[in-house]
Amino acid sequence: MTSFDIVFGSFLVSALRSATPLVFVLVGETLVQRTGSINLGVEGQMLVGAMAGYGAAALWGDPWLGLVAGAGAGMLLSSVHGLLTLAARANQFASGLAVWMLGFGLSAYYGAGLVGRKIEGFGTWRGAGLDDVPVLGPIVAGMTPTVLLALVVAPAVAWWFWRTRTGLVWRAVGESPEAARAAGLRPIRVRLQAILLGGLLSGLGGAALSVDHTRTWAEGMTAGRGLVAVGLVIVARWNPWWVLPTALLFGGAEALALRLQTADAGVSAHLLLTLPYITSLAVLTLTCLRDRGQAAPAGLRAVMDR
Amino acid sequence: MHLQLRSMARRFGANLAVDGVDLDVAGGEVLALLGENGAGKSTLMKLLYGVHRPDAGQITIDGRATRIDSPRDAMASGIGMVFQQFSVIPALTVRENLALAHASTPWFTGRGARRATAGLAPLAAIAPEVPMDARVSSLSVGQMQLVELAKALQQDPRLLILDEPTAVLGDDEVRRLWSLIRGFATRGLAVVLITHKLADVTACADRVAVMRRGRVVATGAARDLDANDLLRTMVGERDLAAPSTAPLPADAPTRVWIRDLSARGPGNRIDGVDLRIARGEVLGIAGVSGHGQDVLADACAGVLSPDAGEVIVDGETLFAPRQREPRAGRVAYIPEQPIRNAVAPDLSLALNLHLDRLDTLPAIPDRRRLEADARALLTRFDVRPADPGMAAGRLSGGNLQKLVAARELRGAPALVVASHPTMGLDLAASAFLYHQLFALAQAGSAVLWISEDLDDLLRHAHRIAVLHRGRIAGVVPADQRHRQTIGAWMTGHADAEAA
Repeated sequence: MTSFDIVFGSFLVSALRSATPLVFVLVGETLVQRTGSINLGVEGQMLVGAMAGYGAAALWGDPWLGLVAGAGAGMLLSSVHGLLTLAARANQFASGLAVWMLGFGLSAYYGAGLVGRKIEGFGTWRGAGLDDVPVLGPIVAGMTPTVLLALVVAPAVAWWFWRTRTGLVWRAVGESPEAARAAGLRPIRVRLQAILLGGLLSGLGGAALSVDHTRTWAEGMTAGRGLVAVGLVIVARWNPWWVLPTALLFGGAEALALRLQTADAGVSAHLLLTLPYITSLAVLTLTCLRDRGQAAPAGLRAVMDR
Repeated sequence: MHLQLRSMARRFGANLAVDGVDLDVAGGEVLALLGENGAGKSTLMKLLYGVHRPDAGQITIDGRATRIDSPRDAMASGIGMVFQQFSVIPALTVRENLALAHASTPWFTGRGARRATAGLAPLAAIAPEVPMDARVSSLSVGQMQLVELAKALQQDPRLLILDEPTAVLGDDEVRRLWSLIRGFATRGLAVVLITHKLADVTACADRVAVMRRGRVVATGAARDLDANDLLRTMVGERDLAAPSTAPLPADAPTRVWIRDLSARGPGNRIDGVDLRIARGEVLGIAGVSGHGQDVLADACAGVLSPDAGEVIVDGETLFAPRQREPRAGRVAYIPEQPIRNAVAPDLSLALNLHLDRLDTLPAIPDRRRLEADARALLTRFDVRPADPGMAAGRLSGGNLQKLVAARELRGAPALVVASHPTMGLDLAASAFLYHQLFALAQAGSAVLWISEDLDDLLRHAHRIAVLHRGRIAGVVPADQRHRQTIGAWMTGHADAEAA
C-alpha cells in the first residue's frame, strides 16, 4: 500500500463522514421540492433532530435510539410546516422560516442541559481485519454505520423515485398538481407525505451530525447545513441520483478545510471554515448558468415565478 | 348511461357562470354544447367532472343521484374528460402519462414506466404512430391531444366530455377526431362535445344544446337546425359582419424589414428569416406548430434578443443583437398564451392596460384617471366584465385575449405582431378582433400575423409566408390556388412547389 493510498483513503473517509448528515437532508429536501413545494424549515428540523438524537443517546446510551429519536423529532416539526402550508394555505416561505426559528428555539431550550455531556457513539470497523485489504479496506474500515446508511438510502430513494409507480405519482404531482388531480391523484396528500418524509430525513441527518459526526451538542450546531441543502438541491438537479456526489462536494470541501487548518496553511481558521459554503455557492452559480433552472420540476417553477 | 343535470348553478365572485342549467345526455349520442366564450360551457362540464363544486343542482346517473366532489369521483362514476388546457404532463413520457392514472400499473414500473403495458391499448387503437417513449413536450399539439384522449379512454368511461377538442387541430387531425367521436357513440358511449365551431356540429353531433350567459337557451336535434339560426341563438341579437382587409396598392412602400433574423428560444429556433412587410400589408405566417413561430414572434416584438440580423421599422433598427429599443407605441404584440406572456394576473385590468407604458405614468399615478381610461378601452373591446378594478387573472380565456388586444391595438403602431390572436375566441369576438387588426393595417401599420388556421389566413392576409424548421420555406400571395403549395411547404416538401 502506497502512502498516496493512505492519504487519499483517509481524506475520502473524512469527506464521506462530513457529507453523511447532508446526504439525508438533501435526499429529503429533493423529494419535497420534487413534489412542488419548498421547505426552508429543514435547518430547524435538523437542529431538533440533532438535539433529540443527542439527548436520547445520552439518556439511554444507545446511538441507534438517538438516530430514531432524531428522525422522529424532525418529522414532528415538519408536520407543523405541512399543516401550515397545506391545511392552512400559509405562504411556504414564511412557514419555512417560522419552522426554522421554532426548531432553533426549541433545540436551544431543551438542549441546554445536554451541552458538555458525553455519549456512547458508534464505533468504526478499524481493527476488524479490514485495514489490510488494499485500497478499499481502510476506507470501509473508517466508516461508521450512519455513513453506510447514507450510502444505501440515497440510491434506494433514487431507484424508488424513478422506477416505481409511487415515484411516478410524486413526479407527476411536482410537475403539475392540476394534471395530477385531473388524473384522479391526490396532490395535497402526496405533498404532505413528501414534507413528512423530508422532515424525517432531515431529523435523521441532524442526529447523524450530533450523535456520530461531532459527538457533541451545541446550540445552532448545524451551522447552516440545512439551508445549504435547500440550495444544493439545485446543484443535484432535483435528481436523487445526484445527491451523493453533491453532498460529497460539500463534505470534501469541509474535510479539506480541516486538513488545511491542521497543516497550518497560514490562513485564518475562520476563513477556512467558509470553504464548504464558498464551494457550494460557486458550483451552484455554475450549475444555474448552464441550465438556467430548466431542470426544475414545473410545479416548483410555478411557485418560484409567482 | 343516462345522465341528467338539474338546476346546476355555480357563481365565481359576482359572476354567475352557470345559472340553473338542466341537461340530459344519453348513451350512444353525441351532444354538442355550443356557446360563446364565457357562456359557461366549460364550467358546466367541470362541475360534472368534479373540478369545481356546484353551488346548487343535482346530478343523476342512470336514475341514481350522484355526488361528484373530485375528478376521482367522476372517474368512478364512469365519466372521462379531455380538457382544453391539456392535463398531460410535458416532462414525462407518453407511457408515464398513461401509466399514471391506470389502475393496473405495477408498483415497479421500470425506467420510463416501461413495465406498465396495460394502459396503452387505447392509444395504440386511435393513434399507433405516437411514440410511446417520447417525452410529451416533444409531441405536436395534435398528438398531445390524442394522448389526452387515450388517457380518458383507458378509464373505460361511459360518458366522455371533450372541451373544444378541434380548436388546436389541423384539417386532417380534425377529420380523424370526428370519425373517432362517431365511433365512440356507435360503441354506446355518451359524448359531450364542447365547441363553438358549427363545422363540428354538422360533422358529428346528434343533438345540440346552446348556452348563453350561463343558461341553456336552446336544444334540438342537430340535423333540424339551421346554421344561421344557431349562430343567432349563440350570440344573441348582435351583428356579425365579416371582417375583410383592404386590397394592397402595388406600390406600397416597405415599412418593416425583418432582415436575416436568427434567434433561439426554448425548444426551437429561427434561422435567417428575411421578410419585408409593406405599409398596410397583412403578412400571414403559416406552418405546423413548433417550427419557430413563437421565436419569430418574440424576436420581432423585441422580447427575445436575436443571435443575428435585425428588425428595421421605418428605416430604423429597433432590435438587433445587444440592441433593444423600447417598443411601446411602435410595435404592438399579442403573444401566444396571453395569461402567461402578456398580463400580470394579480394586477387590476386598469394597470394591465397600462403595463406597456408604466414608465410614462406620473410618479404618483392618478388611479381615477387610469380607471376612466381603462373603462373606455374595456368597453370598446368588449371585455367582460368591464370592471377596471378587477384582477386580470379572474377573466376568462377569451376575455383575457381581448384585454391584451385592447392594450396593444389602441394606438397607431408601425408593426403589429399577432400570434394566434383569435385562439380561444368565439365567432363574434374573432370577427371583432380581425376588424381591429385590419383597421390598423388600413391605417398604415404592417401586420405580422401568425396562425395555424390556413382558411383564415387565405381569406384575410395579403401574402402568406410558410415557416418550416425555423426557415421561410416560401412566400405566396394569399390565394386558394396556392393552397397545395403552402401545404407542401408546411410539411417540408419544398420540391412540390413546381407541381
